[in-house]
Amino acid sequence: MKSVLTFLVVVLCFTSINRADDEKYIAAMKKNLIQMDSMKTVDDMVDLTNAFLRIANAEKDKWLPYYYASQLCVLSSFTDSVKSKKDEYLDEADKYLAIADSLQPNESEIYVLKGFICQARLQVDPMSRYMKYGFQMNENFEKAIALDPTNPRPEYLKGVTLFYTPEQFGGGAKVAKPVLEVALKKFNEFVPKNELMPHWGKQQVEDFLKQIP
Amino acid sequence: MRIKLYCSLIVFLFFPFLINAQTKISGKIIDSNGNALPGANIYIKDSYDGTTSKTDGTFSFKTMEKGSAVLVASFVGYKKYENNVVLKKEELKIDIVLEEEITQMNAVVVSAGSFEASDEKKGVILKPLDVVTTGATADLYTSLNTLPGAQKIGETEGLFVRGGSAAESKTIIDEMIVQKPFSSSVPDIPSRGRFSPMMFKGTVFSTGGYSAQYGQALSSALILKTQDMPTQTISAINLMVFGLGGAHTQLWENTAVSVEGGYYNLNPYNNVFKQRVDWDKSPVGISGSANFRQKISKNGLLKAFVSYSKSDLSLYLPDLDNLPNKTFYGLKPENYYSNASYRDIWGDWNVFGGFSYSLDKDIINATGNNIEQDQRLVQTKFTANKKIIDNAYLTFGAEILNTLYDDTYNQFNVKLNEAHTAGFVESDIYFTNDLAAKVGVRAEHSKILDKSNFAPRISFAYRLGTYDQLNFAYGRFYQTPEKNYLVQYSKFDYENADHYIANYQYLGEGQTFRVELYYKQYHNLVRGTVYNYPYFNLPVVPFSNDGNGYAKGIDVFWRDSRSLEYCDYWVSYSFIDTKRIFSNYPTTAFPTFAAPHTFSVVFKRWFESISAFAALTYVHASGRPYFNPNNPEFLGDRGSSYDNLSLNISFIAKWFGSYSVIFFSIDNLPGFANVYGYRYSTDGKIVAPVVPPTLRSAFLGVFISIGETNQYQ
Repeated sequence: MKSVLTFLVVVLCFTSINRADDEKYIAAMKKNLIQMDSMKTVDDMVDLTNAFLRIANAEKDKWLPYYYASQLCVLSSFTDSVKSKKDEYLDEADKYLAIADSLQPNESEIYVLKGFICQARLQVDPMSRYMKYGFQMNENFEKAIALDPTNPRPEYLKGVTLFYTPEQFGGGAKVAKPVLEVALKKFNEFVPKNELMPHWGKQQVEDFLKQIP
Repeated sequence: MRIKLYCSLIVFLFFPFLINAQTKISGKIIDSNGNALPGANIYIKDSYDGTTSKTDGTFSFKTMEKGSAVLVASFVGYKKYENNVVLKKEELKIDIVLEEEITQMNAVVVSAGSFEASDEKKGVILKPLDVVTTGATADLYTSLNTLPGAQKIGETEGLFVRGGSAAESKTIIDEMIVQKPFSSSVPDIPSRGRFSPMMFKGTVFSTGGYSAQYGQALSSALILKTQDMPTQTISAINLMVFGLGGAHTQLWENTAVSVEGGYYNLNPYNNVFKQRVDWDKSPVGISGSANFRQKISKNGLLKAFVSYSKSDLSLYLPDLDNLPNKTFYGLKPENYYSNASYRDIWGDWNVFGGFSYSLDKDIINATGNNIEQDQRLVQTKFTANKKIIDNAYLTFGAEILNTLYDDTYNQFNVKLNEAHTAGFVESDIYFTNDLAAKVGVRAEHSKILDKSNFAPRISFAYRLGTYDQLNFAYGRFYQTPEKNYLVQYSKFDYENADHYIANYQYLGEGQTFRVELYYKQYHNLVRGTVYNYPYFNLPVVPFSNDGNGYAKGIDVFWRDSRSLEYCDYWVSYSFIDTKRIFSNYPTTAFPTFAAPHTFSVVFKRWFESISAFAALTYVHASGRPYFNPNNPEFLGDRGSSYDNLSLNISFIAKWFGSYSVIFFSIDNLPGFANVYGYRYSTDGKIVAPVVPPTLRSAFLGVFISIGETNQYQ
């Protein structure tokens, strides 16, 4: 009886510790994700990148902290006005995403982000990077769609690229519109597996569609 | 018992709250020079607690952890800081000094003497696209001529660098020497480079002081790296005013094959543009190439490349000694080049192995004399590179070049077999991120000379600020004399040159400034009379290695792609003072292939509304010496200056869902009357100017791609 009780207590304690750990992880992640919605400057982004990396370093087997750290590096690259720093952020983004990829192979969201990094690389020097990164970007988006056809983010990013591509290169608002509409439809149907999974993009798609007559 | 158990359970469950006492940690984070480091991540290891340092480097955070812990500070480009701390309630004040991490990524790039074009590396001056869109001809060598240090020599092909002859420059593709980067040409009409600039992802144009990995070039090395895996399956049709061509690339998962072929015939073109040359047969030719790429492993890539070209041309040259007679000159060059290489990473080692085979054949008919010149080269090379200690990389390698010359002059035949072996060791040392050195030695042996040489090379780079640096280089360079001399005399030694280079370079956001001073001392240059066109009609000079010379000067380069929207321009200026005695020069003189002042401007603009890209290239070179037998001073005459303004426009159009490029260019737009030099009759009484074959030339081409997937749809 006593040993059974001890056993129970031990199990209880461990599960509660485990649950407490999970709760702590979820709470910390959620807090950061909420902050992501309100960040404005590169400093805010670097601060949040560091916060996700702290979780990543402590957890080690979770891919999402690395995923968000990587995404934030891409956003920093887009936001920072110092041109020479843009690639440095993307080198970091690549580094973290590679770890995420090794922890969670064949994840659609990771391929979305890989494509997003290509898009950022392309934007640093479109004239000479068009060939290399244009194709890599597309490949990654296709892979993301293949892995999860319901994922709206590849469509969203494809639409944005089209939106900013000059008309004579097959882009423009008109061409982007149907792609963004598909993205919006998918966003409306998409249910993230859990509350920590990526959910970004919907608001932006709506904003883009508002701009297009 | 039960109560005890419940108590312990309660203690266990509420334990975290019982120790809910926070410790505050604060301080400042700086680098070893005392500068604040904003954006660093400071945290307690294996916890979520931490913060990011502020603009002034200060940080402050609270942690719930208790007892001994590890405080970590990490920041990109710096070594990770870890320190054991004991967390009690009282505040901890810790100042952190982060040490810079010395890596190839952060470190200064040694760049004395060289211009690099690459998409992948940092700190490069040009992009591969710049190479294609400069000048009127989309020729690699034409665009290199807009860089300081290269001389503008209109009457013959080749890279003439800093007072060096064309023979003193070598072209290297994927680590392997190309024995003839140009097809042979007829007198005074240069031929184009044999390889399309689109083939290459990286170009290093060294105007001196290059690495110990390469040899056999007294002045300059042009180091080209071919593209890796292509990105898509695509076909192309090229229509040009004087020819047509097609290409196809097929891509599989780990394999890619590309084939390309073309035909040209300049006859109709030469009938439209008034020729100053009396063509018997305008150039007609075919060319083809194939590329193979196979990914062997994660990093292992096998590349193979084969190229073949053949052409036929003939003309009549005025015979100045027997006017109005003309001499006939017919040329049928045939060039074959193949190269296979493998690159991989084995553990800590970067390894490379390569093999190349060239066959260059010229059939010449000069006034009834039949000359056939065959030249075969087999080259094998390997290199290995490894990080040996924290801040140093070691590269070593070896190569064997076997050249067989087989010349027939009417019935008379000469064969020559040269085996050249070489080995090198080179180390890249990073003393700090701001001070780097490249130290190497190269040893060579020549069978035909039965001589060896030992060439030290050293260069330094020192970073002054975020954007600027100083470079220094010294090196000794050896070259085996040219075949034309080797067939005549057997006691030659290596020719050699010492290079001393100092440069200052600013590489800012969209702006580049570079100024380079150099001094080059030539020793043991080959002397003697060989009857190669154009030779000066002078007393015969006996064969020896007694020649020597020097070249000194300054090269300035400025590029700005930031100040004007959609615009990009660069300006180059070179000053050179050089004298040499070599070949059949009777005395020391300023050679015919150098101009004291060379100035060039390249201006490019992108027109978004019509999706067109336009580039203007202007080159000015002061007059070069020419040989006048009436002047007692050898090469005492100076020609007039050279000016050229060329324009090229590329329209990008979308046809049938794929992109096509319409390329139009015109050379010498204003019609400058350029004279490269003069040729005299033997008695010196008749003189004829050496001029370009046409006053102006124009080119129109349409490059259509088929099956290109739109990258954005």
